Amino acid sequence: MAATMSGRGVAFIRSIGGSLHLRLQVLGGASQQLSCLHTSVSLNEKHWEKNNRKVYPPQLPDEPRRPAEVYHSRRQIKYSKDKMWYLAKMIRGMSIDEAIAQLEFNDKKGAKVMREVLLEAQEMAVKNHNVEYKSNLYVAESFSGKGKYLKRIRYHGRGMFGIMDKVYCHYFVKLVEGLPPKPEERTGFDQAKEYVQGLKNRTIIHSL
Amino acid sequence: MATSITRTFGSLRIVARRSLKNAEVALNVRHPGPLFLPVRTKKRYFIPPAVGLKGKKEENPEAKARAAGIVFRQQYLERPINIACSAGVFDPYIPPEGDARLSTLSKEGLRQRTEQIRQSAASQLAIRKIKDYDSQFSTKTFAEQAQEIFIEAHNALTHVHSSLFLCPNYCQCCATVLQEMTRGNRYKTIRWRFVESLEPPRVVHARCPDMVTKGNLYGQVTVRMHSKQTVAIYDRFGRLMLGSEEQPKDVLEYLVIERHLVNPYSRWRLHGKIVPSWAPPKDPIIKTVAIPGPDLKPWEEFDAFNYEIPKPAAVQWNKWENESLSSTLCIIFLIFLWDVLRLPCKDNLLHPKDKHLCKTH
Repeated sequence: MAATMSGRGVAFIRSIGGSLHLRLQVLGGASQQLSCLHTSVSLNEKHWEKNNRKVYPPQLPDEPRRPAEVYHSRRQIKYSKDKMWYLAKMIRGMSIDEAIAQLEFNDKKGAKVMREVLLEAQEMAVKNHNVEYKSNLYVAESFSGKGKYLKRIRYHGRGMFGIMDKVYCHYFVKLVEGLPPKPEERTGFDQAKEYVQGLKNRTIIHSL
Repeated sequence: MATSITRTFGSLRIVARRSLKNAEVALNVRHPGPLFLPVRTKKRYFIPPAVGLKGKKEENPEAKARAAGIVFRQQYLERPINIACSAGVFDPYIPPEGDARLSTLSKEGLRQRTEQIRQSAASQLAIRKIKDYDSQFSTKTFAEQAQEIFIEAHNALTHVHSSLFLCPNYCQCCATVLQEMTRGNRYKTIRWRFVESLEPPRVVHARCPDMVTKGNLYGQVTVRMHSKQTVAIYDRFGRLMLGSEEQPKDVLEYLVIERHLVNPYSRWRLHGKIVPSWAPPKDPIIKTVAIPGPDLKPWEEFDAFNYEIPKPAAVQWNKWENESLSSTLCIIFLIFLWDVLRLPCKDNLLHPKDKHLCKTH
C-alpha cells in the first residue's frame, strides 16, 4: 500500500485495518461472511429471509449457469396453517404465472394473501436478484408454518370456559429461475418392474 | 379445561360444618353460622392474558409528571459534525471535444496540451495557493500520485463488502465517493484490474474553493487519465452481469482529487469523476431490461413500431452526485460513515506560516 502522506494517527489506524484485513483474507473469502456483522435488519430478520443474503463465488465460464433463487415469506397471516397447507401444496411445482392465476380464482381467504406474496417475490427477484424474465420462475418450495397464537376465553354454559386460540400462520415460498421440473410419470408397468426387481435382489446374507 | 363454580360452594359448606363441630363453644350460646367464609378456590393454572384489560387506555407518563409539578430540562441532542470533504466539484473542468481522438504525440495534440494548462489562469492561481499549504506539490509528480490513489481505491472496492471500517484504504476516498462506489455492491462480486496506462496522467485543472467560512480552503485538482482496465461484476449467484475479465478496455477518465488544505493531516483523496458530454455510451449489461412504456388509456393500443425509446441527454455530469450510477447497481444501499465528524472551528485551522508548528507528513 503506497502511503504518500500519512499522519501518525492515521498510519496507526491503517496498520490495524491492514492486519485485520489480512486476518480476514486468511479465513478464506471470509469478507463475504462478515455481512452478518452489525447489520440493521438483524433484529427483524428470520432464518428464511437470511437465505437471500447468501453470495456465491463467481462462476467459471465453462460451468452451467446457476439458476437464481429467491426466498420470500409473510409472517402472522390471520389464517389457519392447516387450511393454508392445502393452497401451498396446490402451487408446489407450478410456474409462477400459473400459480398466480390459480390463486386469483380460488375462493379461499389464504389465496389472496398468497397471491400477494408471490407477486412481491417476483418483483424482488427482478429488481434485486438479477432475474432476467419475470415469468421464468417456478415455485420450488412452498409451505406454511404456525405463527404466534393469541389466546382468548370461549364461554361455555354452567360457568365453564375454554381457551380459544386465535390462529396465525406464516407462509414461506422459494422461487427458482427456469422451467418447472417435470414430475416423473411412473406407469403401473414401471412399478411392477421395480417390484419384481426387488424380489430378484433378495439374498441370504452370511451364507455359503 | 372447564371448571365449575359450584365446586367452590360445595367446599365452603363442608368447611363450615367442620368448623362448627370442632370449635369450643359454650353450649347454651348459639352463634349463627358464618355467611361468607374466606375459602381458597381451586387454583387456576391458566389465566387468559387479555381478560380484564379491555377498558385500559395507556396513560401518559409525561402528562402525569407535568401535573405533579416535575419539570424536565430540555434535552439537546447534539452531535458535533466535522466535514472533511466538500460538497461537489467546484467549477468542473469541461473536457474539449476531440480530447480522446487527438494523441499527444501528434503536433496538434502537443500544442493543445501545452496551451490548455497555461491558458487557464484560475488553475495557475489555484496551484499557487495549493503550493502555499503544501510546498512539495508539483503538477508533474502529482499526476502519478493521483493514478496511484485511483488504483488503490479501486482495489479496495473489490474487497469492501459491507463492513467499511475493515477496509484499510477507507481514507483513500472521500465519504461521498465511497458511498457512490459501493452502492448496491453488497451482494455482488466485483473484479477490477488496472492493466496499463496508455498515456502518462496529466493535471488539467485546479481550483481552490472555500466552503462555508472564508478561510476553509479545499484544493480540487482534475487529472486526465488514459488507461486500460478490466472490470467484471458478478451477481449474487456468480453469474456475469457486466464486463469481462479477459477483455481490457481503453478508458479516458477525468478524476477529481481533493484535499482539505488547511488541515495539516489531510490527504489527497479521490473526490469524483467528470464524465464529458461527448463520452461514448457504455456497454450494455448482460440482461434484457423492461423499459416502462407510455401511460395508455384503456381504449388505446401500444404502437410498438412507431414508439421511440427515450435516450438519456448528452450532458456532462459529475460522477459523485448522480443518484443512479449505472443500470447495474440498482440497489440503494446506505452505508453509515465510520468516523465521527466535527465542524471545523477557527482554532483548529492552521495558516501556512504556522506550518512549522505541525508535524511533517
